Amino acid sequence: MMTGLFDGYDPESFFDEAITSGGEPRAHYEALVRRLDGFTSHQLAERERVRDAAFRQAGITFTVYGEGEGVERTFPMDLLPRIIPADEWAHLEEGLVQRVTALNRFLDDLYVGDQAVVNDGIVPRWLITSSEGFQREAYGISVPHGARCLVAGIDIVRDAEGTYRVLEDNLRNPSGVSYVLENRAAMTRVLPRVFDDHLVRPVDHYGPSLLNALRRVSPAGADPDPTVVVLTPGVFNSAYFEHAFLARQMGVELVEGRDLVVDDHVVSMRTTHGLKRVDVIYRRIDDSFLDPVVFRSDSILGVPGLMSAARAGNVTLSNAVGNGVADDKAVYAYVPDLIRYYLGAEPILASVPTYLLWDKEQRDHVIGRLDELVVKPVAESGGYGMMIGPSASDSEIEAMKRRIEADPRNYIAQEVVQLSRHPTLVDDHLEGRHIDLRPFVLCGDKVEVIPGGLTRVALRKGSLVVNSSQGGGSKDTWVLADGDGR
Amino acid sequence: MMLARHAESLFWAGRQIERAEDTARMLDVTYHGLLEAMPWEAERSWKDLLKVLWLDRPFAELEQGMRAATVSEFLVFDPDNPGAIVSAVGNARENARAARELISSELWEAINGFHLELRSRNLRADVEARPHELYGFVKRSCQMISGVATETMPRDDGWRFLMLGWMLERAEMTVRLLDVRYSQLVTAGATGGFHHWLQTLKSASGSEAFRRRYRASMDPADVVEFLLLSRTFPRSVLFCLRAVENDLARLEAGSPNLARPQRILGRTRSDLEFLDTHELLQGDLHVFLDQLLSGVRQVAEAVALQYFRSAQEHDIHALDPYGPAAEVG
Repeated sequence: MMTGLFDGYDPESFFDEAITSGGEPRAHYEALVRRLDGFTSHQLAERERVRDAAFRQAGITFTVYGEGEGVERTFPMDLLPRIIPADEWAHLEEGLVQRVTALNRFLDDLYVGDQAVVNDGIVPRWLITSSEGFQREAYGISVPHGARCLVAGIDIVRDAEGTYRVLEDNLRNPSGVSYVLENRAAMTRVLPRVFDDHLVRPVDHYGPSLLNALRRVSPAGADPDPTVVVLTPGVFNSAYFEHAFLARQMGVELVEGRDLVVDDHVVSMRTTHGLKRVDVIYRRIDDSFLDPVVFRSDSILGVPGLMSAARAGNVTLSNAVGNGVADDKAVYAYVPDLIRYYLGAEPILASVPTYLLWDKEQRDHVIGRLDELVVKPVAESGGYGMMIGPSASDSEIEAMKRRIEADPRNYIAQEVVQLSRHPTLVDDHLEGRHIDLRPFVLCGDKVEVIPGGLTRVALRKGSLVVNSSQGGGSKDTWVLADGDGR
Repeated sequence: MMLARHAESLFWAGRQIERAEDTARMLDVTYHGLLEAMPWEAERSWKDLLKVLWLDRPFAELEQGMRAATVSEFLVFDPDNPGAIVSAVGNARENARAARELISSELWEAINGFHLELRSRNLRADVEARPHELYGFVKRSCQMISGVATETMPRDDGWRFLMLGWMLERAEMTVRLLDVRYSQLVTAGATGGFHHWLQTLKSASGSEAFRRRYRASMDPADVVEFLLLSRTFPRSVLFCLRAVENDLARLEAGSPNLARPQRILGRTRSDLEFLDTHELLQGDLHVFLDQLLSGVRQVAEAVALQYFRSAQEHDIHALDPYGPAAEVG
């Protein structure tokens, strides 16, 4: 029945998003497969060139450092969109809202509450205080409506049975949302007719939604029309494109540390006509670089006095300082308990079985089979420092074992999730490649999830690593509207 | 009202695009003018071109011969020359990127696309084999950027700073062009031939407009009057200063007092506007042009002090006439 592009496509033994093990397209992929099967690989390669030229011209690039001078690369978008049917999305959405709500409650409890979660013995106190992401300097600084994590990026994977599982939470400065919007814009230009057969939920309201959420956390007593800015480390940061993109989508100023001054605990920006007060800062600078007075004193990216202004209630920093304690990978194992504790409900989304290596019992249980597990440092993101057991050499496993013995608090081990795969254009034909999904959750008037999110794809054959810094690409992600058009 | 740093970036982006266009146009005129000239005129012409662009000294330090190839390569793609076309465009692009969220996507793409195409060309071969095509491409790209800016930018403060840089650079360039072309005549002790002045006009893209206004004349007084005082020609010094004056006034709309840049500009503009060209040519044109140039520069310095507040960080004329060159990646 399939005579064109999908000819000879083999999902192998993996869970394939588009094609069943019997070789037939899944129901929600039927129209797409039918449409694309009419393309020759040559035509698709031509579309890829159009796409690459468009991305370069638009400067949609990220900078890779480490090879001498930084190199601007485009983040490759695969031409085949990933499709999520309405019912699966409804489940994900509900689970994400629940998870982020609980995590915000947890953070507020730790920083401005009674730390009831610790006192009630849900999470050990030493685990909190030993977390690199826990910032004592943030203690007592409240955020209106408890929206400490105003933007969350929750990484979701799908296992061999097709079950969606949360892989990790990104509650500090999750990035990638600009690609969600740019990928969609690119798809509508490169393959416009493919949209004909689908009702795809739009994503381009992200900017206004983000702005509304930021305005809502403006300090009590601030101007009813608060001044919101985006704080970036500057043009040489790898995510600068995204920072400028978001400022443009919201129509607010994109500032650097040197554009801001703090005087008498009030933050202002230097304008052509003097100083102008700032009420809300969507900061895309890590905690430790934010304010040289309380954090790293060698930071030239930050603004001296920023934390004191936040403490005085004159400015809101978003996301709040200290969120790293909640996306610490050792705390991850406790999130199901946090959901039960704060919301009195069972977690809607599954997690990945996780072993806490400081716990002797758990450590002894897994230390002998690290070759079957994934080991991650607890405070890193972007896939840095992680070891995938099945593909690691004996000496790598031994080295990891020694690091674990030396500092067990710093590592977790997880069962390998056999990530689902998706047909992906490789040279002139389709091959299955592993993917994940990062939906973006906004805490405004209500907790809102932008339909879909960023689907990242491991472009190297067999690779499970999807991070853009390590050879990953992306896909436009379609959430289909249900019969009611939502 | 806008971020001071953004205002500065846009100011320099405007200057740098104007500089790239002027450089390409003058290279084109010089190169093609020399095809019909006596061989001994060549060295003189290249030297003059470098003087107009204010790059005679950096070039002299290279100790290369004053030939078409050496000067053209220096002005088009020498990576060590911050005033070269590729550097100016690269810097304009970095400045546009630093103010990315303030400019339209169309404008950004026009600048970025220009930069990328320039980088992808074999410029050495272009300079050698098809200079007219290359300079035409640069001019057209700059004009397209100007057009896209005009059609897509809201007329807010960001637009005004972009235009301020653009027009101040252009005014300076025209003053220096006149100065160099005129002093050459004085030292040569002649009034200059038809071709000399025609080339001067072409260097300012004004030969056709001049012809319509003055018909068959090529009287030096007419050329000087046209390039300094025309109210209709967009590259005359007066035209540029009036544009700057308007933008400065809009920046200060509602303010009860004149800001310092406005005062300096008003003085410079009125010294120019009420000039009698014939009288001027009896006296010392060079001294007048020198004062005019210094007036235009003072306006730029006053703008920096008033709006960017960065006078201490970089004295914008002392070291580097091409602006805070964002490092080109």
